Amino acid sequence: MDDALTEEQRFPLLTAKGRRMLRWLQEHPHAPRYNFPCGDRLTAEGLRRVRAFAAELSAAPRGWRWKEMPPWLQPFVEFCLAEVPFYRHAGGSAEDFFARPTTSHEDLRRQPWAFVPDSQPLKDLLVYTTSSTTGSRLIVLSDPETPSKYLPLLQAALATRGVLLEGGCVRVALIQVCVQKQTYTMATVSAYLGEAGYAKINLSPAEWRDPDDRAQFLESCHPEIYTGDPIAFLELMKLPLRARPKALISSAMALLPAFQERLEAHFGCPVIDLYGTTESAPVAVAGRGGFDILPHDLYVEVLGPDGAPCRPGERGEITLTGGRNPFLPLLRYRTGDWASLEFHQEMPVLVGLEGRAPVVFKTAAGQWVNSIDVTTILYEFPLSQFSLHQAADGNLRLKVKGHDLPVAAMRDGLVGLFGRDQGVTIEETSDPEVWSGKAIQYSSALDLMEGP
Amino acid sequence: MEEEGPLLETLTRRLAECPPEFLAEPRIGSVGEIHGAAVVSDLIRDLGGAALTPALAAIFQPANAPPDDTRQRNRLRVTLIAAWLLHDPWFRSRQQLAGRAYEFLAHGLIELAALVPAPRLVSDPDRREELVRLCLKALGLRPAGETIAQAQDRLTTLSSAERQRVIREAQAAEERSRQIREAMARKAAQEAAARYSRE
Repeated sequence: MDDALTEEQRFPLLTAKGRRMLRWLQEHPHAPRYNFPCGDRLTAEGLRRVRAFAAELSAAPRGWRWKEMPPWLQPFVEFCLAEVPFYRHAGGSAEDFFARPTTSHEDLRRQPWAFVPDSQPLKDLLVYTTSSTTGSRLIVLSDPETPSKYLPLLQAALATRGVLLEGGCVRVALIQVCVQKQTYTMATVSAYLGEAGYAKINLSPAEWRDPDDRAQFLESCHPEIYTGDPIAFLELMKLPLRARPKALISSAMALLPAFQERLEAHFGCPVIDLYGTTESAPVAVAGRGGFDILPHDLYVEVLGPDGAPCRPGERGEITLTGGRNPFLPLLRYRTGDWASLEFHQEMPVLVGLEGRAPVVFKTAAGQWVNSIDVTTILYEFPLSQFSLHQAADGNLRLKVKGHDLPVAAMRDGLVGLFGRDQGVTIEETSDPEVWSGKAIQYSSALDLMEGP
Repeated sequence: MEEEGPLLETLTRRLAECPPEFLAEPRIGSVGEIHGAAVVSDLIRDLGGAALTPALAAIFQPANAPPDDTRQRNRLRVTLIAAWLLHDPWFRSRQQLAGRAYEFLAHGLIELAALVPAPRLVSDPDRREELVRLCLKALGLRPAGETIAQAQDRLTTLSSAERQRVIREAQAAEERSRQIREAMARKAAQEAAARYSRE
């Protein structure tokens, strides 16, 4: 029989106290209409391994110098070549890591099963789907422990700003806020966090019995931490909340500094920018000089189009090796995100991080403008979301979302970059566009092959 | 196979001792270390032939293949290992095998390279023997001390065993991916487990 899971299967370690928290979240009079029953699926053995990962994360040596390999990398590559059909088929040896072929979204999209090691039991296989940066659907296989191992990584990210995620069965530790037309929502408890509550909610009013329930529910949960993306936080700011979280963790979209400041002022707490992918889980946390690599078991490279590592400071595609998902060992996996890698002593830092490949625009005078320069101009504006499109006639159309936006100053910024004769239209992103999911930040209709 | 060649064991030992340079990445376009065309050209000269013309060398120095073209890369790696084998003093001392050696390297290794990852031609005793026997056959030779029939039989056994192994592996891989696809369709897999942040 292939029935839905029982509560016992969803929460193998649930105690009476944990069940009380779960019921409280599920049956709260102002709760949203949750649409996806879901637990942490952690067994005692699984929990032990998540805790072991947390201990390793805080104790393991980390960092490397440019083009040096940490000691775990070579055995990991050998494992991939011996055990993983996709990598085995690609051939080559484990010796020359930097000459190995890279792996793309497309490879993973075509045959996710080819990345499962031969020796991996299939009993606990879980399926996640995500949209890749090219918009196509990507299936990521996982086990139940891998998502719970996000939590020590979130704790490590919070620790960079002195915030402690305490958990415990009398507290709601985390609420993930979304603003989407459609997304899974759930109430759950986490064994790793001592059965603290966790809910994923959609702030879209249609998901609630009464739109006012949103504030009442969140106020009554008073979560330690909110996770979400800048769009969701913009919506969260509109709710009349008095309870202050310890921190906000922003991911999935660029968080512009001016908007971050506005969020920090509004919520009176640090706002932490986290970079990760569904394929890898969290990768890096924003620090002073860029994004610091968080996990000790992930090797990060920045590669040029020919697969060769870029020199420190040179921009290229972020490429990942390692991770802890037993169903998806990553070997030189190209993320589709761009940055340069710099080294502070032995600590690699991602600088100028941008989702998706950069787009090149053209000024009226025929000069090239890189999308990263546009991002730099927009840094100072409190935008929760933006997209810039250059039409075939060269005119720019900037769509923005945010509070009280200084439209004239944004126009001046773009004109300063593109020249006085540049045609610029600025408009507000409509809600349906915002809620359609990941927006394409930069696009151009110009034929870039024709040359300046 | 009409003529008797060197002892099989001399050549299989030579393969087992293949220096790491010959196992390095062959150059395709601008990526890789070893110039296949230069190695083969030197070999052909040492076997008594003329240095390769650019047209003859082109097959060992592809310019346009994508760097992740694994089939092409394995063919070149197999070629380099075979070039090491053909540089044995016995072959060089004949000074008349250049033409057949070129044919073998350019066209005689395609099927083998499609089935066997290059490093196994050095590490696996059966594959070493198969490469040596293929090479001798292409040069019109047979191992010293064997009859034509014996040499032919042994080569057939080795290559069909390899084909069988590859077929079995392909079947096992197909069965495994079927099992994974089945596991993916289970309700318990689709329900997944809670994740705590967005990517």
